[in-house]
Amino acid sequence: MLNIEGLLVHFPYDYIYPEQYSYMLELKRTLDAKGHGVLEMPSGTGKTISLLSLIVAYQKVFPLEVSKLIYCSRTVPEIEKVVEELRKLMEYYSKQTGESNNFLALALSSRKNLCIHPEVSSLRVGKEVDGKCHTLTASYIRAQRHSDPDLPVCRFYEDFDAVGRQMPLPAGVYNLDDLKDFGKRNGWCPYYLARYSLMHANIVVYSYHYLLDPKIADLVSKELTKKSVVVFDEAHNIDNVCIDSMSVNISRRTLDRCQTNVETLQNTIQKIKETDATKLKMEYRRLVEGLKEANVARETDVYLSNPVLPDEILQEAVPGTIRTAEHFVGFLKRFLEYLKSRLRVHHVVQESTPQFLKDIFDKVCIDRKPLRFCAERLRSLLRTLEIADIADFSAVTLISNFATLVSTYSQGFTIIIEPFEDRTPTIANPVLHFSCMDPSIAIKPVFQRFQSVIITSGTLSPLDIYPRILDFRPVTMASFTMTLARTCLCPLIVGRGNDQVALSSKFETREDFAVIRNYGSLLQEMSAIVPDGIVAFFTSYMYMENIVAAWYEQGILENIQRNKLIFIETPDAAETSMALEKYQEACENGRGAILLSVARGKVSEGIDFVHHFGRAVIMFGVPYVYTQSRILKARLEYLRDQFQIRENDFLTFDAMRHAAQCVGRVIRGKTDYGLMIFADKRYARADKRGKLPRWIQEHISDGSLNLTVDEAVQLSKHFLRQMAQPFRQEDQLGLSLLTLEQLESEEMLKKISQIAHQT
Amino acid sequence: MHLIQTMAALSEEVLLVVKKVRQRKQDGTLYLMAERIAWGPEGKDRFTVSHLYADTRCQKISPDGKAKIQLQLVLHTGESTTFHFSNDSSALKDRDAAKELLQQLLPKFKKKANKELEEKNRMLQEDPVLFQLYKDLVVSQVISADEFWANRLGDTNHADPSLSNNKQEVGISGAFLADIRPQTDGCNGLRYNLTADIIESIFRTYPTVKEKYCENVPHNLTEKEFWTRFFQSHYFHRDRINTGTQDIFSECAKQDEQGLKSMVVQGVKNPLVDLLSLEDKTLDEGYGVCTTLPSTSNSNRSVKESSNSAIIKRFNHHSAMVLAAGSRKGETPANQASETSNTDGNSRDSVFFQPPVKKVKLKEAIEYEDLQRENRPKTVALNLKKSDRYAHGPVPLQSQQYTTSQDIINSVNYIQHEMVNYKPNLTQVLSSTTASSAIAALSSGGVLMQAATQQAINQMVPSEVQGELKHLYAAAGELLRHFWSCFPVNTPFMEEKVTKMKSNLERFQMTKLCPFQEKIQRQYLSTNLTGHLEEMLQTAYSKFHIWQTRRMLRKT
Repeated sequence: MLNIEGLLVHFPYDYIYPEQYSYMLELKRTLDAKGHGVLEMPSGTGKTISLLSLIVAYQKVFPLEVSKLIYCSRTVPEIEKVVEELRKLMEYYSKQTGESNNFLALALSSRKNLCIHPEVSSLRVGKEVDGKCHTLTASYIRAQRHSDPDLPVCRFYEDFDAVGRQMPLPAGVYNLDDLKDFGKRNGWCPYYLARYSLMHANIVVYSYHYLLDPKIADLVSKELTKKSVVVFDEAHNIDNVCIDSMSVNISRRTLDRCQTNVETLQNTIQKIKETDATKLKMEYRRLVEGLKEANVARETDVYLSNPVLPDEILQEAVPGTIRTAEHFVGFLKRFLEYLKSRLRVHHVVQESTPQFLKDIFDKVCIDRKPLRFCAERLRSLLRTLEIADIADFSAVTLISNFATLVSTYSQGFTIIIEPFEDRTPTIANPVLHFSCMDPSIAIKPVFQRFQSVIITSGTLSPLDIYPRILDFRPVTMASFTMTLARTCLCPLIVGRGNDQVALSSKFETREDFAVIRNYGSLLQEMSAIVPDGIVAFFTSYMYMENIVAAWYEQGILENIQRNKLIFIETPDAAETSMALEKYQEACENGRGAILLSVARGKVSEGIDFVHHFGRAVIMFGVPYVYTQSRILKARLEYLRDQFQIRENDFLTFDAMRHAAQCVGRVIRGKTDYGLMIFADKRYARADKRGKLPRWIQEHISDGSLNLTVDEAVQLSKHFLRQMAQPFRQEDQLGLSLLTLEQLESEEMLKKISQIAHQT
Repeated sequence: MHLIQTMAALSEEVLLVVKKVRQRKQDGTLYLMAERIAWGPEGKDRFTVSHLYADTRCQKISPDGKAKIQLQLVLHTGESTTFHFSNDSSALKDRDAAKELLQQLLPKFKKKANKELEEKNRMLQEDPVLFQLYKDLVVSQVISADEFWANRLGDTNHADPSLSNNKQEVGISGAFLADIRPQTDGCNGLRYNLTADIIESIFRTYPTVKEKYCENVPHNLTEKEFWTRFFQSHYFHRDRINTGTQDIFSECAKQDEQGLKSMVVQGVKNPLVDLLSLEDKTLDEGYGVCTTLPSTSNSNRSVKESSNSAIIKRFNHHSAMVLAAGSRKGETPANQASETSNTDGNSRDSVFFQPPVKKVKLKEAIEYEDLQRENRPKTVALNLKKSDRYAHGPVPLQSQQYTTSQDIINSVNYIQHEMVNYKPNLTQVLSSTTASSAIAALSSGGVLMQAATQQAINQMVPSEVQGELKHLYAAAGELLRHFWSCFPVNTPFMEEKVTKMKSNLERFQMTKLCPFQEKIQRQYLSTNLTGHLEEMLQTAYSKFHIWQTRRMLRKT
């Protein structure tokens, strides 16, 4: 039982890290102020449990102030971990208070992780599961079944629909598997049960998309109460998630598929017209009345949602030009032809949304207003036509979403049409990129609607850039260090080879043999002295491929193989998963292994290398994003004009957050230890180094700024020998691990107040 | 060391005789026997060179085309012996015959004898006490070396039966292919050096190559041709891309690819590393910022790029195979694959079945071991100030037996508790006179302290005698251990052994203990240092007598 400025918090452990206490303190102040916060705390210092403990305690004491916690994380394993920690907390609560818990906490994930229908779930691929589910549960299909009982049915959904809603989910903590178990026992669909229970659950854990992707958020998270605390964990990439959810790419293939879609639509309309003309008339009348019905959209029709639904659209009626089905199909055709003509370019075109709108009006007389209603109109049409397999219509849905987006936002987006890929200028492959440049557009509704939004991660440095690019005003911004009884991380900047050649991944020296060879000897020497696992990250996949090939030719890889097995990330996720598992196996059985991987890749974002799975991480080069991309250039320009962030600052910030992510993978707690080797001389510069998280930065000594390979090996040997000594709990107690008594001492509280680094 | 057994050449089976073999410029005959190789000069019936196979590390042969056709044996000691085959007509054939035979014989001995020898050597080197024992018992011929080791090695086996029964298999070096670095022979050719170890590594790592080998050698290809083709194949050169179908290894590559694919399809067991299910909801096609990814279609890729990705693929495959070769014990990979796919099939049968792996991994992932008080039973760190005292064995201080260290802690706690709650019962204390007499009796020189002469002995006996006594104790202890370990005597073998041990003990007493006794009697008449030793021996003798009389009774 901790006392956080008057709030009694149950903490389910015997001891506490000082930074956890400090973190809770800052968090409580943020909640008290009903504002937003940005908090950086190293991974492995129990961030999640601190968050959960404090917010649950807050909810219990002030149920009227905070009624719900929405915890967003990035990956499915992360989500499940959070729920397991929550379960631990709740068990502790009921043990301490002696009464059964009345909290309902659940995880929500996509259908592929929750479906229990034997046929549907066997599809395994997200999109297919969604599509199949839709063909069984869409509202009009179920309506059809009244007349034709032979149609296939999902009994889990039917049972849930019949009785599931009357009886709320009993209190408790439900992970994905628990939901499936519960669903199986009662014969209810776990997915819809979870979505329904979202509304009255005290704690919801799900992925970013349910809040940030307007296509999904509008249906799943729309009715969540204002008095919620939203937490974005692992939020260092949140701006990219926002941008991704609002951007659209249209290739010639998309347009071709769209063409078939439109033809199918036309034929279906023709058919219906001959058999059941009243249906279309009904629809027309409905559209005249306005889109109020969109407000009460059936929950099962997720697939038909539109990207953004500005409020005014819901009040207005669909414009006359696209009100009848035939007119709308004609309208779509015209729009399609226009897009096709735009893709027939020989040089790169870049324009703003107003320019695009003006051009489309000049060329094919399409007005802004009908474009805005395009997504909604298509949704209505697809429902009216009772089209079962909605997945087939993804192309036309994409186009209409694009139409709505392009006509809704005049700022923050850019349109780039590229006739070919830069690397293959001879092969025509025109793509229209409609690219969002302003992450604040997608996240704005979240900041506006919920009273407290916490953005947190192990690597959020520099903190002040996030409020700027996400356009919000936080009440607290703090970075916490890791208090350590022993310095368990050892960041080294290797700037030179043994032959004094400067090491760098910068473009000019990328092909330089001396650099590649020195990188190779660095890895080789490290493989000889580091026990168990080593993870190495390259700046891009191409770069890694080239270096691996060069190393193979020079026989470096074979020398490395004398010490450890080599596994390499590939673009294929399944192959990489296997390599990863084998890598862990090799670390487990003592043989030792090296994993060559890519910054910004899946491994660097989602896989932890705890303890012996990663005793050293080597970052070959500075992971700058591919700067020649036009989309990136446009975004940089936008950032400069709108937020006064200089291009270089942003690029460095972006590179350093990825580098920090990569090297941070190896330290997952205070009992863990690992080397962090930055193999590029540019890391020594203050502008790079200064953008690393504080908990890494403060361990870089001046002496380790520009090491040669040999010097780095010497330092590493020394470090590893020290770390191999036994490390007991007693060694930590009082320094980086506190008992309740120690925590309450005056002196310690003073020390703790220095842990948080306010900006 | 008396480990090198001298062997009688008479009863040996001679496997191969090669005449006209020169050694140190002397003509002679080479004999390959069951356990050793020997050479004798012409006209004499004595071997001047004789090496046990067990002592031989490897054989080397002169390259083809050299004028002298030679075979060299390298011993573990580092010495080497060279034989020169000088029969003009059949030198090459002779040499190859000898080589072939050695090739078969050497590995057998390498594994067995050598390991044992090394092990014994190591044990003696690491353990000075054991070495002393060895000297006392074996060198002085109280017991034979075999007897000595029989029990020793048996001991280690008992300690870990799993180790001895199925020996841990030696894995494969990840870089075995690197060890066959080609060397140029100066005339536009490459030479690869292959050893039996490397070939075995190749076979174990790439079962498909072994298959090919069995299929083609020697019917279609000679061994040499086979390996030549192997080194020429794209299969060996990982950056080459499979082009022709002529190559016998193209099939291997295909099978490998299939194996890799099936491994990938099987998926991973640990959900935390499954990158496929990492993402909850991927963006639909067409959404998202499209970073210019290299297009996946192969037609667009240059030859260089696809060769690069081939290297990466093959490195992954190689590492996986090396790993698998190390972990499979006699099973074929196919077996393993089917096994795993079986379990996989189970999980697919029941949709709701979640492998417990996931739960365990999740639990592990959220564990903060240092935040929790340690729950496992507490242990007491053993802090020995005088390890020799510890080695002297138990002192009858406590009669009760503590089973775990937790018990000890409990009892200490209990005693502490008792102490805290101790209230003197003043009505029942001793009278002052009794108390003072008790104290006097317990002080040095008192009645009860007569036995405390340890100090005196320490000072009286010179350290060299002490050391000798120590050795005697150790030796006697060892022999007694052998003796007592025979009980209960329930096999004829044991009977024999116990009798032998008894006579060993007697011999020890005669040859070692008695001289020592005489020696100290000459110097120190008063103290009886060997009393306890004799007592122990007597106990053993009486036990033996009891056993013998009982056996007699039973027999009659």
